[in-house]
Amino acid sequence: MTRDTAATQPAEAGGLEGVDLECVREILHQHQHDRGGLIAVLEEVQARYGHLPEAVLRTVAEETGRPLVDVYGVATFYRFFTLKPRGKHLVCACLGTACHVRGAPRIVEEFERQLRIQRGETTPDKQFTLETVNCLGACALGPVVVIDGRYFSKVRRSRVQQLLDDAVKGFGGGDLREDGRVFPIEVSCPRCNHSLMDAAAPIDGLPAIRLSLSLVGRHGRLRLSSLYGSDHVSADQDVPEGQVAGFFCPHCHGPLDTSPDCPDCQAPMASLLVRGGGVLRICSRRGCKNRVLDLT
Amino acid sequence: MARMVDERCCDRCWHGPSRPCPDRIACLVDGPVCHASDACRQAAAERAARLRRQAVARPAILVGTGTCGLAAGAGRVLAALRRHLAGRNAEADVVEVGCIGLCTAEPIVDIQLPGRTRLSCGPVAEDKAAALADAVLAGRAPPENILGQHRPAGAQQVWAGVPWLDEHPFFAPQTRRVLANCGVIDPSSMDEYLVRGGYRAFAGALRSRTPAEVCEMVEESGLRGRGGGGFPTGLKWKGALGAPAEQKYLVCNADEGDPGAFMDRALIEGDPHRVLEGMAVAAYAIGATKAYVYIRAEYPLAVRRLAGAVHQAEAAGLLGTNVLDSGFNLQVAIKKGAGAFVCGEETALIASVEGRRGMPRPRPPFPAVRGLFERPTVINSVETLANVPEIIARGPEWFAAVGTAASKGTKVFALSGNVARTGLVEVAMGTTIRRIVFDVGGGIAGGKGCKAVHIGGPSGGCIPAEHIDVRVDYESLKTVGAAMGSGGLVVMDEDTCMVDVARFFMDFIQRESCGKCIPCREGTRRMLEILQRITRGRRGESGLEALQRFQGVMYLARLAEVIKDTSLCGLGQAAPNPVLSTLRHFRPEYEAHIYERRCPAGVCRELLSYRIDADKCNGCTVCASKCPAGAIMGARESPHYVVPDKCVGCGACKEACRFEAVVVE
Repeated sequence: MTRDTAATQPAEAGGLEGVDLECVREILHQHQHDRGGLIAVLEEVQARYGHLPEAVLRTVAEETGRPLVDVYGVATFYRFFTLKPRGKHLVCACLGTACHVRGAPRIVEEFERQLRIQRGETTPDKQFTLETVNCLGACALGPVVVIDGRYFSKVRRSRVQQLLDDAVKGFGGGDLREDGRVFPIEVSCPRCNHSLMDAAAPIDGLPAIRLSLSLVGRHGRLRLSSLYGSDHVSADQDVPEGQVAGFFCPHCHGPLDTSPDCPDCQAPMASLLVRGGGVLRICSRRGCKNRVLDLT
Repeated sequence: MARMVDERCCDRCWHGPSRPCPDRIACLVDGPVCHASDACRQAAAERAARLRRQAVARPAILVGTGTCGLAAGAGRVLAALRRHLAGRNAEADVVEVGCIGLCTAEPIVDIQLPGRTRLSCGPVAEDKAAALADAVLAGRAPPENILGQHRPAGAQQVWAGVPWLDEHPFFAPQTRRVLANCGVIDPSSMDEYLVRGGYRAFAGALRSRTPAEVCEMVEESGLRGRGGGGFPTGLKWKGALGAPAEQKYLVCNADEGDPGAFMDRALIEGDPHRVLEGMAVAAYAIGATKAYVYIRAEYPLAVRRLAGAVHQAEAAGLLGTNVLDSGFNLQVAIKKGAGAFVCGEETALIASVEGRRGMPRPRPPFPAVRGLFERPTVINSVETLANVPEIIARGPEWFAAVGTAASKGTKVFALSGNVARTGLVEVAMGTTIRRIVFDVGGGIAGGKGCKAVHIGGPSGGCIPAEHIDVRVDYESLKTVGAAMGSGGLVVMDEDTCMVDVARFFMDFIQRESCGKCIPCREGTRRMLEILQRITRGRRGESGLEALQRFQGVMYLARLAEVIKDTSLCGLGQAAPNPVLSTLRHFRPEYEAHIYERRCPAGVCRELLSYRIDADKCNGCTVCASKCPAGAIMGARESPHYVVPDKCVGCGACKEACRFEAVVVE
């Protein structure tokens, strides 16, 4: 097990603290009826901050009435949790048996050499974190490496450099457009047919899709990338992971939610008209990446 | 498309979420039970035929998008197909299915035209996908990469000259029961599972069998725990059923206890409702009203598919309160693990579900008596539960017809390593390892010889090539010093060093040891150190270090026995198995490392020495430029040489040389 010391950088925790702890309480509130939900709480907290700052662990301990040592014990027991901030890009190399016999250790060493860090560490410029996992379950295609959530199979040592370069460029951005799954679309409101494209604040270098958003009585604006397949968004209010927000047209203020529900998480899906015919449906749950493009 | 459960056949249909009915499943699939209407029956039959893909109205293109498919590029193929079809205004449905198991042929694309059998092709490259779709949609079988066609269902026309998929060498030796739907149905659609007989066993059990009868059936079938233990499932259930308690729990263990196995992931990704149905039956049999699935967080897709399936089943009234008007209540919750191998052990898993450090505790009391939240708890693996629905639906005799005297049914293996066809394999118990490796797997990749097969992960053992005719069942495997384990089957060729494999497993176990008991925490670390010393180079070794090395070698086997006898949980008790089994079958290899200071397989880097064959080297300087240690000398266009003292043995020169001039000794 990894045993990190609770080295939280004061600067990191300090700036965000006020907002942060409110979010932690919100997450705790959601899980208050969930027996034995500490791991789920910590998972959600880590999903928000990228790591588990000391202040958060203290808050969790206080709010749940569990001793801090218990919370700290859980946070250090499981490999998934990290007390140190991770880099911008996460490189996760599989070291399962099947990957091992196909040369995974050499791939990891190559990553270590290229990044000049050891496994489990983060580069000084906070760009890359290199981690190893026991098994990603894609054994038949080993050695497997996951970079920023993308799976790469049968990785050779000679491909490591290229993968790191691509990660810096972002499998998003420029490279995103070469990815076959990703292409730009233009959408309009299904109620008033007013275009929802907003060139004022581009995302992925293209006009964004602008929507109004409502969440427990609060309203805000949400901009989505108009690249179908890109997950880039910007919002003026924070929607907690897993929360379902209401989507409205910023022009006619009509709601965009229609059935059927998201096949993955059952939240309502918002429908948008695609220019040239067709409907784009996006899931209204934060974190659910489900979207359906129905071209007719 | 509206879901089947939301539809009403006609005005006389009185179904709704608030009106549970014991005949709901039959009514959905076969037509109404409570009112006689030929039109409604006809409509239901047509819908079922469509959902079974016996009679599709529009061409369907099905892409296998399990995690392994996605890693091989199925996502890009899917997008390429969608774009292509959108551009051509072609009438075709694009459907995502699970993984059929033949991972080497991923991405796999199936195409079915109306009135014809389903064609399977793979691997399909992103740039070839559109051409393939065009060819098949135009009615021509593609010339290459064709895997086969499915057997015709109903009045489907057969593709001439295309082999049957079930006669493909990968599939022919298999007995696919648990995996029957994987890669065939759309895992996000409960309807497709329903029309293939899904949830009938559960509905039948609720209506006409008592929990004791269900336990009895499972016991009669001879089903044993597929997670590795091999404990009779029916007995376990009976124990929990007899335990007096107001609240009992069922836990589905989807924490793959084996780095190198992915059965649980593929099964949940490909057919989540089968697992859910198994859980529902098990919960009914033991009287549990709350069930948990403990699943690895490393499997995001499986978690999503399973969560979707739970929602669908709840919406359909198959989970929740008063399920199918039987008075039975069941809630299913998903608990994500956070990356601790030991949590595959029952008592550690319970601690983890309770939100504590996943550390095991001594047994007894067994979880069936006192488990989760101090209540009786049954923990079954994904594969065990996935076997349950068909045992109930087809009877214990049907299940027991396959297998050996003491091990009934089938076993799913994750075949990986140095084998030509890797993937997910389901064979009848009693099949030989040779048949799995050479017939299903197509032998060793690259024409090399088979050295060993490692079965059962870190708790299992190595089966050397000469024992490869051993049959897979719980008892036979023990005779060769291996164990069934959860189903990882890693094939190793001649280039694999068995000492290195043992070291790899010890490294793994010692990192994953929870630290609660001393034999496992300290013992495994000592064993790792001993193995590390054996595989380390001896330049500059001090006298003390040499003594420590000798001492380690002398004590290795004894230490292994002590750890085995005194560890608290299964993880520790099985921890020395990889060392003991390699020591038993590959002793000469250990001796070569210890006495001759060489690694016969050329893996243990510090024991290797590199030399450049002067006759083959033409002085291209590529190796010298690649050498990270600057250990290669020589003038351009004249033979180079390696300076042994500088060489770190990384092998970069061997990889770089195009003239095979670098010799490893």
